[in-house]
Amino acid sequence: MSLALFLAIAPVSAAEPSAEPIDFSHQIVPILKERCSECHGGEKSKGGFSINTRALFLDDETAVPGKADESYFIELLLETDPDYMMPPEKEPRLPAAEIALLKQWVNEGMEWEPGFTFGVPAYEPPLLPHRPELPTMTNGRGNPVDRLIDHYLTAGEHERPAPLDDATFLRRASLDLIGTLPAPKETRAFLADSAPDKRDQLIDDLLTRDLPYTEHWLTFWNDLLRNDYAGTGFITGGRTQISAWLYESLKNNKRFDTMVRELIAPPDEQSAGFINGIKWRGTVSAGQTVPIQFSQSISQSLLGINMKCASCHDSFIDRWTLAEAYGLAAIYSEEPLELHRCDKATGEAAKAAWLFPEIGRVDPAATKDERLKQLAELLVHPDNGRVPRTIVNRLWGQLMGRGIVHPLDAMQTEPWNTDLLDWLAADFQDHGYDLKHTLRVIVSSQAYQSASPVSQESDDAAHYIYDGPRAKRLTAEQFIDAIWQITDAGPTAYDAPVARGIVPPGMKQKLSFPSSWVWGPSVDRGLPLDGEKVLLRRDFKPAKPIRSAGIIAAADNAYVLYLNNRQIFSGEKWTDLDAAPIASQIHPGQNRILIVAENRGSKPNAAGAFAALRIEYEDGTDEIIVTDESWQVSETVPPGTRPGKWKLDELNWETARVLPNATWKKQTDANIGPTLATASVGSEHRVRASLVKADELMRSLGRPNRDQIVTSRPGELSTLEAVNLSTSASLIEDLRAGAEKLTSGNTGSRPEYLIEEIYLALLTRLPTAEEIEFLRSILGNEPSSDAVTDLLWALTMTPDFFIVR
Amino acid sequence: MNFEIDPTAPEPIVRRDFLAKLSAASTAAWMSGAPQLVRGKGIEHPEAKADACILLWMGGGMAAPETFDPKRFAPYENGMAVDSVLSTFPSIDTSVDNIKICAGLENIAQVMDRGTLIRSAVQPDLGSILHSRHQYHWHTGYVPPQTVACPHIGSWMARVLGPGNDVMPPFINIGQRLEGVGEKEELKAFTTAGFFGSEYGPMNLPFPEEASQAVRPPEGMTNDRFANRDKLFRQLVERNPHREYSSDHQQESLMRSMDNAYRLLNSKEREAFDIEQEPKEVRETYDTGRFGRGCLLARRLVENGARFVEVTTEYVPFLHWDTHADGHKTAARMHAEIDRPIAQLILDLEERGLLDRTLVIIASEFSRDAIMEGKPGSEANDQAAHKGDFITEEKHYGLHRHFTGGTSVMTFGGGVKKGHLYGKTADERPLIAVENPVTVMDLHATVMTAMGVSPKTEFDIEGRPFYVTEDGKGKAVMDIFA
Repeated sequence: MSLALFLAIAPVSAAEPSAEPIDFSHQIVPILKERCSECHGGEKSKGGFSINTRALFLDDETAVPGKADESYFIELLLETDPDYMMPPEKEPRLPAAEIALLKQWVNEGMEWEPGFTFGVPAYEPPLLPHRPELPTMTNGRGNPVDRLIDHYLTAGEHERPAPLDDATFLRRASLDLIGTLPAPKETRAFLADSAPDKRDQLIDDLLTRDLPYTEHWLTFWNDLLRNDYAGTGFITGGRTQISAWLYESLKNNKRFDTMVRELIAPPDEQSAGFINGIKWRGTVSAGQTVPIQFSQSISQSLLGINMKCASCHDSFIDRWTLAEAYGLAAIYSEEPLELHRCDKATGEAAKAAWLFPEIGRVDPAATKDERLKQLAELLVHPDNGRVPRTIVNRLWGQLMGRGIVHPLDAMQTEPWNTDLLDWLAADFQDHGYDLKHTLRVIVSSQAYQSASPVSQESDDAAHYIYDGPRAKRLTAEQFIDAIWQITDAGPTAYDAPVARGIVPPGMKQKLSFPSSWVWGPSVDRGLPLDGEKVLLRRDFKPAKPIRSAGIIAAADNAYVLYLNNRQIFSGEKWTDLDAAPIASQIHPGQNRILIVAENRGSKPNAAGAFAALRIEYEDGTDEIIVTDESWQVSETVPPGTRPGKWKLDELNWETARVLPNATWKKQTDANIGPTLATASVGSEHRVRASLVKADELMRSLGRPNRDQIVTSRPGELSTLEAVNLSTSASLIEDLRAGAEKLTSGNTGSRPEYLIEEIYLALLTRLPTAEEIEFLRSILGNEPSSDAVTDLLWALTMTPDFFIVR
Repeated sequence: MNFEIDPTAPEPIVRRDFLAKLSAASTAAWMSGAPQLVRGKGIEHPEAKADACILLWMGGGMAAPETFDPKRFAPYENGMAVDSVLSTFPSIDTSVDNIKICAGLENIAQVMDRGTLIRSAVQPDLGSILHSRHQYHWHTGYVPPQTVACPHIGSWMARVLGPGNDVMPPFINIGQRLEGVGEKEELKAFTTAGFFGSEYGPMNLPFPEEASQAVRPPEGMTNDRFANRDKLFRQLVERNPHREYSSDHQQESLMRSMDNAYRLLNSKEREAFDIEQEPKEVRETYDTGRFGRGCLLARRLVENGARFVEVTTEYVPFLHWDTHADGHKTAARMHAEIDRPIAQLILDLEERGLLDRTLVIIASEFSRDAIMEGKPGSEANDQAAHKGDFITEEKHYGLHRHFTGGTSVMTFGGGVKKGHLYGKTADERPLIAVENPVTVMDLHATVMTAMGVSPKTEFDIEGRPFYVTEDGKGKAVMDIFA
């Protein structure tokens, strides 16, 4: 039944109210259409009010069937105060006759044509997988993605995007697949390589670098599954991480269907954080209870459905209803769940159900665990094309800068190329839900290997025409990783509770031992100083060549640990056990560990520390150094944070006092084995930004606060960020270190070579003759480290660095 | 994305300039979810009464009966009944006949004739009374948690009004550390532009005395070298072989941000960030601590075109206004910290002819009471350290419970009536608002109305309307405006 039909046969002016019952379609729809629907119909819901369906009309007692006098909307129609009147002041008032008709309609019970809506009939995407026949290959472009896109371009008479040069391809593929810039050496080799299949080789190589791949894609998955290492909810234990599970899953390229099963029906606590959401303190609205979060999160992340609207009232913008939102929630809920419309109980009980019963149902009578398992199976059911379409669209969006369905979270939207989406989704299913497979298919295509268009800011989603991959701005993590990479700066410790190396079976148990704490001499006296601070020291010499090494430490209650005068980590929370792999920082000869331990409590309290260093030698034997009588302690701590400048010999060293720390032992001893095992096999790949908590720089560069699911990152740089990057002293310090590294490594060689190295390191391309000439004039023959530092800064600010083309 | 633009709807001129000049996130819609301003029928911006807004935030729960709404004074006596305590300070006269405030605020008392005191602000019952949740509510207008990241009120102003002059960051947040303090994640959750994107986020200056470092060349870099570095950057961009991308919007927006940054860092306005440039006696008048110095910084920033500045006494759990014990002494210390700088700020703004167009607000997430947690009928947990019925130690003397039933908001300038009192709380416990209660939503509507922003202003985010006041329903308290 179309609205046009109603309008065509509706009387030009509405009839007078009469004894005849109201005819909704002919008497009411025209009035509502003319007077109200512009602001309260279709996608519009001014003031949060929509008349799309009868249920929506009744929201908040805007209308009370049978009681026109109690219906707020009638009151507004009669209102004379210009601030409150409806329609708004500038619009004509409703004639009395129309108001009378509406009143009569309400008093008669507000009859509504079943199924009628003021909403626009939306595109309904198919649920089942579809395996489209591939169009004939043209121009020798055999990748199925290219066959589909070439067909699209030919049919629409659109121009084919220009091919991408090797250097730009190398930069883009590296950043897209492992998140870091290629090293100058790699770039030179790649550019010099004449093998016809060198791009495919590169793709294979990048995809087999498991750790870099994992630590790059961790960002995408953390955003998608709102996982982080700090955030609201953690303070009261209302939230758990899935970091370790996620990290392992990516490292092992776990099948996506397995990931979905483990997320939805978690076999253990490791992957339970996603469905358990965030239990916030205090009362929360009905739209943010944990079961409703479950409904919203799986809808958004896995199905590309915005269930946020429908979890408060039937959605104004798509077809999802309150009952459906609660149906999903009820799958998770332990307790019977009552529907709440706009935070008010409706008296209706939710029944566990999922959104696409055509491929199977969740049994509401089953236990919660069984219901979750049933839901998991439905999500990865072979007939479920929605889940694969949603994830491949996200992968496409990551790589190509824009989804086939856009926005990525709105999978009810028509794709610009249905066959392309369907083919990728089916191919993904047919290849065992292998994420890397789909990444390889896309990156291998000529479509991916095309130049990005010069794009305009207004991107009308409804009239999008594919014009090649869209450029992307470096993400917060990529930018910071790049700076760390160029300058060798960056932390040695990280926040993600993940194992970067592989812990052999049994090692955690083997390395489990009771803690042993050392203190200063004040413990003999029983009279610690106010805010006591002590310096602890242990010198050691490795016996043989080292394979790996890791260190863990904790202090009561704050400390900084240095190895060979370099800070390894610091801590402020006495219950935390910090860890870092340190093999590369141990010298063959004499080494020294220093710990500055401080008790910052408000009362006099002793300062003490626990540390354990494990070295594994190349012959397989190992050695463990723990805080014990072999350590020395000084009650005097030299000022500053640069132990290299401390005159240690002038201090009064005594044997450290060993005393147990009972509370700590009870709470944290159990973590020693796992933490030390992880640290001592740990990767010494540079720590990646994805593994550390967001700082202000990362936040302003667009790393989302993962209290909500945010699946896309900003494409621009904000003014404040430009201010920060322009004034940051620490950035300059880092860049200076990078500049010194570059200049010292290039002494005696041509200045051109230095310029080339810098361009290769930052922009992954060789400088042009014009650029070399210009920079030679700036840098001179013996470039100062200031000049190189400023060049590095200036290049990192250019669009060429920031924008991935 | 469907939205109508009503050509007849007036747009503030500043905003138009702002869009033309300011960067990036303001215009881009290429990534999904970019919020779109919805303008059309029914949204008309009121005429602005103020060009700038300073929020003086009493983080931690400033007790109204200890500041702007004195009740019966109960001096300390060993063994006194806790429920006999309404106020622990005597009241003093102010420059307005019918308004008395607490002893300790003598300087503010002298400027009461410049503003309107609202004594009937109320907060909802959020189950457990938690500072960060109520602060989130106050600063965004929305009770957390929400399904989208809500923007801070300063970000709303940054987004809708832009900066007061085109080099100044529109939203500057002074005094609150976001690292190294308890509940920092909870603070970050609302100290953000949320879905508007970081272009509209706060410039955070936790230490007023270090603010100038945020807008000058990195330490150790001369101005010449700084200028040369910028020149080098521009020359490199010009020499880039990919000239075809110079008209690319992403590239343009990036360049615009760099231009904006460089303009600020070379502007005379950057001097505004340096409070050391004030004469010594002015600094001394303000310098009661970090908050006082923050007030001085705020004054300098507003003089130079800042749009929204927040200065906080800083929320740190159990410190400052968050008095769970020793409330009387702490309140006395807080009086000393805020009294002089706030009064001086008002006088300085007045002297410079800025007060009429600058809305200054003193507010807190809720009030406090000696025995009542939440409000009558609330089931919130009692969080006071001492739970006895009698006060046997001086540290138990004070208002140690969180009270949401009635609190004070002091406003100056920005078109508010002078020497006016609005709303009333009961004289005996429960000290709830008994006249003209003002919700957080209506308070937001009032502030936005003063700034010339309709409370119905809405943005489309994820296909849903999102309003500056909840559902666009906030109603300004027009009675406080002259």
